[in-house]
Amino acid sequence: MQFAIYNGAKRQEEMDSELIPILEMTDSELGELFFKRKLSLSKFDLRVIKDYFREIKRNPTELEIEVIAQTWSEHCKHRIFNGRILHNENNKMKVIDGIFKTYIKGVTEKIIKERDGFVLCAFEDNAGFIKLDDELSVCFKVETHNHPSAIEPYAGANTGIGGVIRDILGAGRGAKPGACIDVFCFGPPDCDIANIEEGVIHPQSILRGVVKGVRDYGNRMGIPTLCGAIHFNKVYTYNPLVYCGSAGIIPIKDIKKEVYKGLSIVLVGGKTGRDGLRGATFSSASLREDSRTEDIVAVQIGNPIEEKKILDFVLKAREKGLIEYITDCGGGGLSSACGEMLKTTGGKIYLEKVPLKEPGMKSWEIFLSESQERMVLAVKDENLKELSYLTTIYDIDCTEIGEITDTKRLEVYYFNNKVCDLESEFLHNPPYKVLVSHYRDNNLKAEITSNYNENEISNLFKRVLADINIVSREPVIREYDFEVQGNTVVKPLIGGLGDMPQDGVAIRVDGSKKYIGLGCSILPSYALIDPYNMGLSTLDEAVRQIIVTGVNPEKIALLDNFCIGNPDDSYELGRLVKCAEAISYVALCYKTPFISGKDSFYNYYISENGIQSIPVSLLISSIGIIDDKSDITTSNIKSGNSLLCIVGYTKKELGGSIYYKILDINGGRVPGLDPQLALKIYQQFYKCIKDRLILASHDVSEGGVIVALTEMGFGINCGIEIDVDRIIKEEDMSISELLFSESNSRIVFEIEESNLFKIKEHFKDLPFTVIGKSVNNHRKIIIKNKNNIVVEESLEELKNIWKKGLEVYY
Amino acid sequence: MEERVRSLLLKFPGTNCDSETDRALRTAGFDNDIIPINLLNRDMIFEYSMVVIPGGFSYGDYIRAGRLAQLELGLKIGDALFEFKEKGGLILGICNGFQILLQLALLPQASLTTNISGRFICKWVKLKIINRKTPFLYLLPWKFELPVAHIEGRFVTSENKANEYVDSGLASLVYEENINGSECGIAGLNDETGRVFGLMPHPERFLFYDDYYNIDKSSNERYGSGYIFFRSVYEYLKVGGKM
Repeated sequence: MQFAIYNGAKRQEEMDSELIPILEMTDSELGELFFKRKLSLSKFDLRVIKDYFREIKRNPTELEIEVIAQTWSEHCKHRIFNGRILHNENNKMKVIDGIFKTYIKGVTEKIIKERDGFVLCAFEDNAGFIKLDDELSVCFKVETHNHPSAIEPYAGANTGIGGVIRDILGAGRGAKPGACIDVFCFGPPDCDIANIEEGVIHPQSILRGVVKGVRDYGNRMGIPTLCGAIHFNKVYTYNPLVYCGSAGIIPIKDIKKEVYKGLSIVLVGGKTGRDGLRGATFSSASLREDSRTEDIVAVQIGNPIEEKKILDFVLKAREKGLIEYITDCGGGGLSSACGEMLKTTGGKIYLEKVPLKEPGMKSWEIFLSESQERMVLAVKDENLKELSYLTTIYDIDCTEIGEITDTKRLEVYYFNNKVCDLESEFLHNPPYKVLVSHYRDNNLKAEITSNYNENEISNLFKRVLADINIVSREPVIREYDFEVQGNTVVKPLIGGLGDMPQDGVAIRVDGSKKYIGLGCSILPSYALIDPYNMGLSTLDEAVRQIIVTGVNPEKIALLDNFCIGNPDDSYELGRLVKCAEAISYVALCYKTPFISGKDSFYNYYISENGIQSIPVSLLISSIGIIDDKSDITTSNIKSGNSLLCIVGYTKKELGGSIYYKILDINGGRVPGLDPQLALKIYQQFYKCIKDRLILASHDVSEGGVIVALTEMGFGINCGIEIDVDRIIKEEDMSISELLFSESNSRIVFEIEESNLFKIKEHFKDLPFTVIGKSVNNHRKIIIKNKNNIVVEESLEELKNIWKKGLEVYY
Repeated sequence: MEERVRSLLLKFPGTNCDSETDRALRTAGFDNDIIPINLLNRDMIFEYSMVVIPGGFSYGDYIRAGRLAQLELGLKIGDALFEFKEKGGLILGICNGFQILLQLALLPQASLTTNISGRFICKWVKLKIINRKTPFLYLLPWKFELPVAHIEGRFVTSENKANEYVDSGLASLVYEENINGSECGIAGLNDETGRVFGLMPHPERFLFYDDYYNIDKSSNERYGSGYIFFRSVYEYLKVGGKM
């Protein structure tokens, strides 16, 4: 076997030393060359590459071409998010010097100045870090894995979750993953297969494959999958979205990592093969019908046990202080991992040392391979021996493959042949992209008055509760081990029977008195109408979810994950800009910094009937600190003898709501936000939690106040009585609008009657009111308008509707 | 100086409940060591009072849950484990550990196979003790709750042995609501000596009262039933094997 590899490599050696004569090529020949290799670079990029090699007076090797294309790919350098945008709106044009710099990083920089010491590291490492207590930090990262999941759902989700866990393992000098989050957007599971083009997988199959993929990886890794969302909408039939995230714990002293001359570069984990070649470039292009057959080689199946062994090894090695620098091999493989690691110093890599799965691999294939379950470390020579001892305990491979230099050049060798010699300065500074965006309101935003028979409310209510985007996610949640590690104190399913929904979740941290709260929000149906208000709503909901769980509003950080269709389409880019504007405005007001994020473009599909694209799809994930165990609050009603209250204004904001979906109304006013008022509400609410006045609290979101209250009643054997007239509202709202409005920054909560006075003090000058009570003498939800009963339904029956909704499909 | 009660927690590649089980053992009073399988030798176990095989997916559980771990462990220290048991040592298998102990024949004949739903189930379950005369259960109330999380947890036997196990008290722990289709709802099984015990539910995940899914904030409880489980064994060993 050894011999075979050697022979293969020997032949390769000669081929690899050949140069590609790009200097002698015309522009169109060069374009042809890149197109054939499936490398997505622009004409301008190619010219810059040619100029560089003309200057250094030689032609590039095959490996150099591949390294440049990978490093400059959208997946790795986020050139659209960093690019210059000429934004047109209301006949005016403004220049945005990078969406990322302007709306995300810029916001964080401003907040960091005011919130000293909370953000420990943002946008520099594999994940963002915040302070948990004086000793420990928590880091958080969310990734997308859309294209692989579209063509191979099980494996795509598998490697998606595997990749983001490695991000956490490679954060700082190695963080311990403690929670996973998974958010999916799929087409409707009941959609008619006849309406789907051949070659596209039915949403129901995607749902099943993706959930099993997450299950089989997350459960085996022993990391609880705690938090998530599934949104079904026909706009995702051709372009499903799969977001995978993970949060980890690390001592503050181990966040800082550095490389310097003299360190050895070590590759840890699985062997390298041809699998997953060009994943990074593949994910930076759109899908088309032939994607299934052509690109399927780019999707691998993960091996969670290999990664679990790496996890055990890395955490032990970090604990013993053996790691100076660590990063994961993700998109772009060694090329990306080493490229990032050696950016400031330079280094030498010897590819013949890399353990291979198969003989005869070319040097560029080894360097670019995205074989899963590998990490790259930089270690001191004196620690190599101990490191290698640890590998025998944990059964993993560990190979020295290179060294750090101070030449500021990436030098790669293959059997004494130099196959790459590029300056960092050139490699890591791709030309700026300039894009044009154009925003104009569509006609959908105008307010709509729905003339619906108010006698129908009960029926409509049941239809809202049975909507695919409202019904219980229990069948999926139970597939995930959300209890492993034994630290899940607020679970995704809670209440008397352990089956009612909870907004944010919370975990205990070994060695700390503080707890971590996690939440998320994604609202694509708002985005179809009004991307700006969608941005406001998404950020607000993500924050609110963990506020109602007991998180300190001054200790919240956010992740932004954008997915859009074609960024070269000025209309789509314009909607992204509006959304980014919105979240930057709210984040600044709430002082909730972004600490990490990711963007995914080209989520469109070229079908026989034209281009199928997606709306701006923004996932905001929130992470916050719960200072005291007693602050933890859950959403289930605790007693049949309490008052039920609401804080926040209810407005005629039903655009994109579940109610309008049921009525088949397209458009309307999407919920807006008064962030100053919302912040005040959250601050006062937190004071109530601190004073132990809140028995249960639930955020009002999709489905409106009626759904929120009903859900709160699913966990206890009591009834709910509400007077709809007491809700603080805008003028001219009908009863159904009041009940189903999805206005932001509203919280419904349960209190003891004896505490009403204190609560009123806290919410003085804020839109607070008691709207009803929980009772022991029946098990119904009764909604009255003054003295007329508008809804009277058995909670058991409603729960049955809600609980069974997804079971048909999963 | 007070004599310490030592436990050995075995770790395979793919074991993933080691740190919380270690925490549970320590909280209950044990002096616990986590030993990776590559460092294990047959003499080592005799220095301990109890050997624990925790939950997880040893070697990925791809062939059948626990199969590779059983082969590896059997080869390395199989006979020593039987000797250890005969000399009065305790052996506990939780979830994946239960699957491994059954295959090592340290427990009466039975198998754990795929849940009747074909799905992974992560859920809190109500449990009932049938036989309290085991070192692992004697301090617990007759009924208590613990979380389960498994895909291969359906207890099956040949020739209707499940009924025998219930009658003889070997099946000391059963589900109140049969979540996975186990024969007679069996959730935990011990051998004739009572010193070897395997169970599907995870006691280490209900160490503290806060771990419960429906907390009563006014309660002063500090510990959960998982704590009492480990405490039972600890008390038993501390007084030299008496209940």
